[in-house]
Amino acid sequence: MDGIRVGKRVIGTQAPVTVGWENIPKVEGGPVRQFIFTWFQPTMLFALLAFWYYAPNSIAKASVGVGIGIGFRVLLLGLEWVNPRFESWRLTWKELVTDLFYVGLGYTLLRFVDSYIGSDVMVKAIQVHVHWESLKWFTGLPLLLQAFLIVFIFDFGQYWMHRGMHNWYPLWLPHSVHHYITQLNINKGAVGNPVELFLIGLGVGGFFDFVPRAFLLAGTFGLAVGSYQHINVRFNSPRWWRFLFNTTEHHSLHHSQDYESTRSNYSNTFIFIDRMFGTCIDGEAELLGMEGGRRMSVREQMTYPFTEGWKTLKERFGRPSAAVPAE
Amino acid sequence: MTSPVRLAQPWAPQPWGATDGAPSTASDPLFLEKFPSMRLISWIWHVRGSLALPPAQSSEDAFDRLAPLFREAGTRHERIDDTLTFHKKDPTAQDKMSVFDGGVLRIEKSPAGPVLRYHLVSRALLFCFLLAPLFLGFAQLTIAMGKFQKPATEVAGHHGKAADAYKKAAAKAEADKAAPVPLNPIDKFLGAPEPEKPKKGDEDKPGRRNKKPSPTPAYVFAGIFAILYVVGRILEDRLAKALFKKRLLDVQDA
Repeated sequence: MDGIRVGKRVIGTQAPVTVGWENIPKVEGGPVRQFIFTWFQPTMLFALLAFWYYAPNSIAKASVGVGIGIGFRVLLLGLEWVNPRFESWRLTWKELVTDLFYVGLGYTLLRFVDSYIGSDVMVKAIQVHVHWESLKWFTGLPLLLQAFLIVFIFDFGQYWMHRGMHNWYPLWLPHSVHHYITQLNINKGAVGNPVELFLIGLGVGGFFDFVPRAFLLAGTFGLAVGSYQHINVRFNSPRWWRFLFNTTEHHSLHHSQDYESTRSNYSNTFIFIDRMFGTCIDGEAELLGMEGGRRMSVREQMTYPFTEGWKTLKERFGRPSAAVPAE
Repeated sequence: MTSPVRLAQPWAPQPWGATDGAPSTASDPLFLEKFPSMRLISWIWHVRGSLALPPAQSSEDAFDRLAPLFREAGTRHERIDDTLTFHKKDPTAQDKMSVFDGGVLRIEKSPAGPVLRYHLVSRALLFCFLLAPLFLGFAQLTIAMGKFQKPATEVAGHHGKAADAYKKAAAKAEADKAAPVPLNPIDKFLGAPEPEKPKKGDEDKPGRRNKKPSPTPAYVFAGIFAILYVVGRILEDRLAKALFKKRLLDVQDA
């Protein structure tokens, strides 16, 4: 394959990719379908922001946020069914079970571990020793700006953690498991080795949760923007949206079977962070995964970083195997 | 549930699902021969069924029609007389039979005509079945750990005077946070509600750091997996039958 030159690199030499928004297919179907899948993303984002901005204090609660989050994800699952981006990414029962297993781990075991040794502990320790007065400048900011900063700080940290995972072997080992997925679906973001899920969750964005309403608004960015990173839905995302936000197009390139493409689009919510650091490529890919699209079993997903790490250590530091004598 | 099938012999030399030469108990039908009592529970991850074939259809013709299903990545199969044995290793998500790790398809002669009998093994079904008790276990673990959880100061590893200082700092931080923050003039102008002073013991606020881990999510996921298992056990059985039927009957009609 010849590949396509993007800046200093050539991508798509190992697997087919599409580069450039003008080459990406549009939503097919009648005017109603086109209208829905063109305006769904911005409408939901602004509707949710408006809801949390104006909701009375009796409604602006975490439990309502959890309810909305679940409802929205079920709605997105429905959209995947109605308007898939690729038929080859269609959700199957086995994929759903695997995805939900990891979502479940995130809500139970990982959350439990996090409360002892993760970012929760880290942030709590910092908050105890920080003088409240010194943070008045932040809590006095407009709510939407506070929300944006909470997400941006978290996303900025996550960008570098993610980029580090693709550039430093010890971090790549746990992250590599996530790159064995062969299709994108709404819950695929949760699939990965638990060590990686713990690492990627580290961040101090949650440090700025002093104003509950700002925190709920920040959660909206995660829900109404971040959720589209792994989704099998064809949208006609507006130009400004795909300039600012990470989309499933961007993220499919990141998961492509083409190695050079995977070294792009590292951010979680704001793709402009990638644009700032020169790692953004606008495009999409259908063929995803590693090793030609081999799907890892759950057992291998759990053990792979350790077995691979051990193999590498043995190769590097182990005794060389005895030479086979010539006959 | 479909009627059980007498398992075909001989089996392929390499047991299904074996990744390192060792037999996998979940997908190895020999396992059922060694432990007949397991048949009582084998329905959890074993799917058996049959499909009547057109009277004139030979087993060779039938297997030729089914062959594309077994030409997927990570799948190998073997045909011996009237029996086709297959096994899959890391099938792609796009493989229509990816839920099954192995199986035996056999064509038997009956007075009414040839019949395809199949016996498919799915570790994914077993996995899903076991997820409900696993998450119930997580719920129990959360409850147990909650009971033994020490006060925050001790957990944080502070003792004596250091513990007192930490406690004071934590209380001050909480008190500071509890004070309502005045709205920015822009937010006032736009009509955002004024924040209220949080009530003591109000747990329903965003962020989870100050909350005790709850067993509720684990119970919810246990329920989801129980439902998913029932759905999957029925759905995958039907989908497999429909897939065979499509290959064997529809193609012939076309």
